[in-house]
Amino acid sequence: MGRNEIRLRRQRTTARGIDRFRNYNTVLQRYEQTQRLKKVVKVFGFFVVILIVIMIIIFLSRWENSSERTNSLETSKVVVATAHEKVTM
Amino acid sequence: MSEDEIRQEEAVISEAKKDPKAFGVLYEKYFDRIYFYLLRQTDNEELAGDLCAQTFVNALNNLKRYELRGVPFSAWLYKIASNEVNKHFRKNKGKKVFSIEEVRIKELVAQSDDSWDEELIQRLIEFMKDLPLDMLQVLELRFYEDRDFKEIAYILDITESGAKMRTYRALDKLRKNFKLKVKYDG
Repeated sequence: MGRNEIRLRRQRTTARGIDRFRNYNTVLQRYEQTQRLKKVVKVFGFFVVILIVIMIIIFLSRWENSSERTNSLETSKVVVATAHEKVTM
Repeated sequence: MSEDEIRQEEAVISEAKKDPKAFGVLYEKYFDRIYFYLLRQTDNEELAGDLCAQTFVNALNNLKRYELRGVPFSAWLYKIASNEVNKHFRKNKGKKVFSIEEVRIKELVAQSDDSWDEELIQRLIEFMKDLPLDMLQVLELRFYEDRDFKEIAYILDITESGAKMRTYRALDKLRKNFKLKVKYDG
């Protein structure tokens, strides 16, 4: 068994044989299908990107709110502690 | 290809970039060549027809990115077709086939006497079976597709000198093994 598979064709393919496959309309249809698919993928990708951005914004705003809340809680604790110290003095 | 023909082809390409229907002219012009090129590499008419259609669909899809690089438009189509065949055999884990017409073997080798017989053809086929794939590819493009070395280099992604070297090595092997006169312009 050699490296390549070589086959010998005794007869030439006739023009009629090739014409079975010659159809530019089919090629155009397949091209339009792939273009439509590309558009759908693009739109889907666009929505995914927007969704990710929205999720990041929501996450950041929540994180900001929670950090503000802990900050204000700590400040109020400090205020209470100072007031308590003043009273005991 | 004459300058005028190249200019006409360029005009069709730039028109097809705007309107894919204009590409039909190039489809009609190159369909036969690309189909036969694919048939030789698959030995299956249905598969060659399908890969041929896919080649032209890919060409249309990427036409906006096409730039003239000193090789004819047909070389670009051959390159796409070659990639399609490789993709097909990779996907189906099949072995690449080289299907050769008997008449074309006789055209490749100019036999000095009339001793063309079945045995010689079989010996030639056996010889080709053991040729490295890269040599077989350049031989096919050079002698069956009539591509020049610059085009072969572009299609196979190799240098022009590499294409020449592979061809000459393959031809030398042919000559040594068969003592035949091989048609080539050196």
